[in-house]
Amino acid sequence: MEKKKNSVMNIVCIILPVIAVLCIAIGWIAFSTANPRLMPGPVEVFQRFIRTFTNPVARVILPGHIWASLRRVLIGLIFAWIIGIGLGVLVGWNKKVRAVLGSVLELLRPIPPIAWIPLVIMWFGIGEFSKVFIVFIGTIFGLIVNTSAGIKLVDKINIDVGKIFGGNQRQILTEIVVPTALPSIFAGIRTSVSSGWTTVVAAEMLGAKAGLGSLVTKGWQGNDMALVLVAVISIAAIGALLSVLLSKLEKVVCPWNQI
Amino acid sequence: MERDNREVKVRTENLTKQFGDLLVLDNISFDVKKNEFLCVVGPTGCGKTTFLNCLTKIYTPSKGEIYIDGEPADPKRHNISFVFQEPSAFPWLTVRENLEFGLGVKKVDKKEIKSRVDKILDLMGLKDVENAYPRELSVSVEQRIIIGRSFVMQPDLLLMDEPYGQMDIKMRFYLEDEVIRLWKELGSTVIFITHNIEEAVYLAERVLILTNKPTTVKESLKIDLPHPRNIADPKFIQYRNYITEAIKWW
Repeated sequence: MEKKKNSVMNIVCIILPVIAVLCIAIGWIAFSTANPRLMPGPVEVFQRFIRTFTNPVARVILPGHIWASLRRVLIGLIFAWIIGIGLGVLVGWNKKVRAVLGSVLELLRPIPPIAWIPLVIMWFGIGEFSKVFIVFIGTIFGLIVNTSAGIKLVDKINIDVGKIFGGNQRQILTEIVVPTALPSIFAGIRTSVSSGWTTVVAAEMLGAKAGLGSLVTKGWQGNDMALVLVAVISIAAIGALLSVLLSKLEKVVCPWNQI
Repeated sequence: MERDNREVKVRTENLTKQFGDLLVLDNISFDVKKNEFLCVVGPTGCGKTTFLNCLTKIYTPSKGEIYIDGEPADPKRHNISFVFQEPSAFPWLTVRENLEFGLGVKKVDKKEIKSRVDKILDLMGLKDVENAYPRELSVSVEQRIIIGRSFVMQPDLLLMDEPYGQMDIKMRFYLEDEVIRLWKELGSTVIFITHNIEEAVYLAERVLILTNKPTTVKESLKIDLPHPRNIADPKFIQYRNYITEAIKWW
């Protein structure tokens, strides 16, 4: 009986997301049919999608724009992960570092990444570095905070076990404290990917030759709403794909956390 | 008679611990023989855990010294294991990895680690769950992992702080027999803290009875009964009643 109930529940869990997506599609079709000037329909968007390959926008086809955005995000994120997680471990583990950086972080963390854009463009111009830097600055604070919170969560009893076994500070940090914090670090990484992705699009909208954000702006300025939607759907699809990839990676890195 | 001639493994001299004005341990001195199973009992809140934490240097004693094999006790130099009252298996490691952990910290040879862990997995019946994570297992299995993790170290001194405090009576008896089996098989020196007098009489070769705070050693009582012990044995009951009388603080 219990087994049957579970299998019914599993089927429901598979069907419900499909229904949710269908609802959005139906709503889209209904709205675009009623207001064709405000919202292009799925067929029109699909045709525009095909045309992004045959008629490149700013001499770049759609995969080129996707890659331009993705590359900026990945470079920015790699630096943010290395520096952010490293600093987070230090802030969480070392009271002196926490005393120095804690208040600064609390001040900088609530600033939305987009608010940095004008300053960064002023400092570094509108080149590649600026966009990568905006991704970096937009993601690093969340990473530091999540990592340090995870480090502080470590159970004292686990540290005592390490001490009793004669572990040195490095062993306790790398073999007990960091593994304890891994789920929190991963939560930080997940957030950083989504905020990095939204930040880069915003940065590109303000000035870029290629990238999904620039596609949105070009579609908007040229009143080509189908192109805007092609870009928006691409942004959503890549974001979802990154999220799925991260979930898979998390299962590999933190298998105990999935139980 | 032969047992009495065993060499001294742990010597505690004038162990004193004070937290501010509060004197918790007052000049405690005793010896533990090599391969001895010593139970420590005392009134609730008498400082039994503080006493163990001093032995492991989690707390620094205010006065006095603990020697293992004649040298001041040091977790870095000596092989000390501890079984806490609370579940303390590492959730991110599998059962096998949990057992390997301490040996890895001590940089024991990989082949040796494998052979020791295999032995403990067999002895504790954990072979079937060696690749499971603690979260997938029951609390009693988790406690077995922790006990296995301690015995696998082949410790100079194994300290157990009310390890079965949270278990039902059936599981407690099962794990008590398990500990006796491991102790005999591996020849470890064990200090087992408990507030359960029946448990102390069931396990110990010798029982150290502590007083109320400030804690001192009231009596050291040899339990002259062969293992496995029968809790209904009149002599067993006699020991139990005697210790109950000795620790009465009401």
